[in-house]
Amino acid sequence: MNFPTINISSEDKPILIASGFILVILLIGTGYTLATQGTMPLLTVNYLLQQLQSGAFLGIAAAGLMLVILHGHIDLSIPWTMTAAAMMATTVGGELALPTGLAVGVCIGLVNGIGVGYLRVPSMIFTLGLDSAMRGLMVAHTGGYAPADTATPFMRFLASGKFMGVPMSVFVWAFVSLVIVFLLKKTTFGKSIYATGNNEAAAYLSGIKTRRVILGAFVVSGVCAALAGVLLAGYSAKAYQGMGNAFLLPSIAAVVLGGTHILGGKGKYIGTLIGVVLLVLLNSVLSIMQMPEAGRQVIYGTVIITMLLVYGRGQKVTS
Amino acid sequence: MPQSEPILRMAGISKSFGATQALQDVDFSCFTGSIHAILGENGAGKSTLIKIMSGVLDPTAGELFVEGGLVNFQSPTQAAKDGVVCIFQELSLVPDLSVADNIFLDSPPKKWGLIDKKTQREQARVLLARIKCGDIDPRALVKDLSLSRRQMVEIAKALSKKPKVLILDEATSALSSQDVDTIYGLLGELKDEGVCCLFISHKMHEVERLCDTLSVFRNGKHIETFAKGAKSDDEIVKLMIGRTVDAQFPAKPPPKDYETRLSIRDLKWERQLKGVDLTLGRGEIVGLGGLDGQGQKELLLALFGVLRSVEGEVRVDDQIVHTGSPAEAKASPTNFALVPEDRKTEGLMLPMSIADNLMIASLDKISDGPVVSPSKEKEAVANGIKQLEIKVGSPHHAVSTLSGGNQQKVVIAKWLCTNPDIVLLNDPTRGIDVGTKQEIYKLIRALADEGKSILLYSTDYDELIGCCDRVAVMYDGKITVELKGDEISETSIVSAALNIGDTPAHQKPGAMQ
Repeated sequence: MNFPTINISSEDKPILIASGFILVILLIGTGYTLATQGTMPLLTVNYLLQQLQSGAFLGIAAAGLMLVILHGHIDLSIPWTMTAAAMMATTVGGELALPTGLAVGVCIGLVNGIGVGYLRVPSMIFTLGLDSAMRGLMVAHTGGYAPADTATPFMRFLASGKFMGVPMSVFVWAFVSLVIVFLLKKTTFGKSIYATGNNEAAAYLSGIKTRRVILGAFVVSGVCAALAGVLLAGYSAKAYQGMGNAFLLPSIAAVVLGGTHILGGKGKYIGTLIGVVLLVLLNSVLSIMQMPEAGRQVIYGTVIITMLLVYGRGQKVTS
Repeated sequence: MPQSEPILRMAGISKSFGATQALQDVDFSCFTGSIHAILGENGAGKSTLIKIMSGVLDPTAGELFVEGGLVNFQSPTQAAKDGVVCIFQELSLVPDLSVADNIFLDSPPKKWGLIDKKTQREQARVLLARIKCGDIDPRALVKDLSLSRRQMVEIAKALSKKPKVLILDEATSALSSQDVDTIYGLLGELKDEGVCCLFISHKMHEVERLCDTLSVFRNGKHIETFAKGAKSDDEIVKLMIGRTVDAQFPAKPPPKDYETRLSIRDLKWERQLKGVDLTLGRGEIVGLGGLDGQGQKELLLALFGVLRSVEGEVRVDDQIVHTGSPAEAKASPTNFALVPEDRKTEGLMLPMSIADNLMIASLDKISDGPVVSPSKEKEAVANGIKQLEIKVGSPHHAVSTLSGGNQQKVVIAKWLCTNPDIVLLNDPTRGIDVGTKQEIYKLIRALADEGKSILLYSTDYDELIGCCDRVAVMYDGKITVELKGDEISETSIVSAALNIGDTPAHQKPGAMQ
């Protein structure tokens, strides 16, 4: 193995690369605006806060998803968990809106966790199936009559309100982040997640209740996706079909770009945060550069694949 | 012995896996028209030997000749081209393909570049008829066949490659007695056709009946080759054991009666456990002996709650217990600990830190509710490392950076952190250096002196003799012989393991032939 002179652990390498890439994106974007308009809007506090606000939805969904990916599993039901939570929240409305949305997330997480952890259905199939089932339920829900779809004032406040100039959604994201870091670093649940993700057989033989740990991770993922959905509805003032669809690939990509191993066992939460910021900035800079939609998609996808190729070099995929 | 050119000759073959020397400078020859037995204890290097012959492994050093020509096999397919074909112990069939597809898996008969199914079926039928398995439909899926039938298909597959050297690695262990007779007949035929059969078996009577030449291996070395009848059973056993002055063991206490802590009655599971009766006393070390795969591993797993639908009765301190999972097994009232067979896949999370690995079985002891207490964790980790004298740079390094012996210490320390009453050890010293072995022996004895009960499965007879107060030898899913005190000797364990006593089954505990 020929590492460079600085000794960087394999876990931190993706995080450093991703951070570097964020700087590159900002430099390119600033260079572009300097050349075309002579200004540097990208480096203003306002612009960055705005990016964090729009990144919060992705960030919250990715935070929960990370716990699932740490097991080497995946949660493909995120889009319709978000949508279903948002739609049920607006339907119920009032003070119960947020709790209802989160309850939807808990239920979906429980079903996923039982399916994957206890019934041993591969997560890729099970969560995809549940995603489809939720879509059907939501279509049926709006089919017969027109349920209320307007976000409650509280939802709007959480999503777009500001406190000391900082958007509330950024605070929510920060709160979720603290909870996830606490779970992963300080609790037996967190240690069990890493152990199960690394080597489920060894964890099981050490007396870890691995099925329960998997269930727990899916519930956290469901709740986070639901929270992201409720906030998104508050941001756009209403809930609508397919509102979560754009979040599936970016949330997986954010976790993996942040260095969490797609086969489980390895990853730091700070990486997921950086992955989210990277994707949000990339998207934003591409739109500032007035890249046509088709080109944006191609670049977006290519960047994700290229970065993963860079990470993968020199690392063994199989155990 | 025939004086002609050997069909297969090894010169100075060595093979090492990391620090373990599996084969050491082996010279070996075998000749056409003979049935040649290869004998040796577990870990003597037999499997490595045949894997090198058949192209599965590359030797670290040495040369291999087939019919006088130097060969360098890169794969089993290449070896098969030169006529060296092996029937492996682990079945190598694809369950979801038909019998005919499996037999001709790597070289199917072709027509226009496509597999000629019809010819393939016909050829399969002919091969199956030859081994008197005309009742197997070549179109049947392998997964629908019984284990014994599958093994016959495996043999047909080997025959389809027209072997000059046919290697049978315990090929008869899964067969019904009728099929075994068929195979004996077949081997005789092949011998007359000039094929050289290398036969690995732990069943002495099979070897007696079939083979004309015997070779004994021990500790990766070729000890001796001789014609059948040149040596008695006893002499052969002695050759297999050798006189190794190995690790030193801590002194044993004089034999005494122990207060029973664990008692197992008529424990059954699938086909691997066929009614095990065993007791384990407080402060006693009981060894499980026997050949590989006689149910020792399953017995430990069954006790530890890993296996489903285990029948029989397990009592701890005279209370009937039921362990449904390792999580239940490690908790009160059983307080089991299991050091599993393979530390890399079952014992450790290799990329995780030493500290995390040490604590993973006793998270409840270092946490307040769901939250881990850093101070308790630090103390417990330091204790674990100190108790086993694990040589670590920092407890935060990945456990994969440690040597094999220290890794194994981490696994043992992990379980000692749970403060178990009954410790189940599955071959805890395999693949580790002599020095660490001695430390582990001392530790086992110290644990017993503390009043813990130890059930130790080992493939190393010396270890059973040196460590255990009592040895239970398993054969075919049952405990056939129990040895105590002075009865525990190499000869008694080996002959019990090979089941070559006066009567093949059911010796009374403690009885000797």
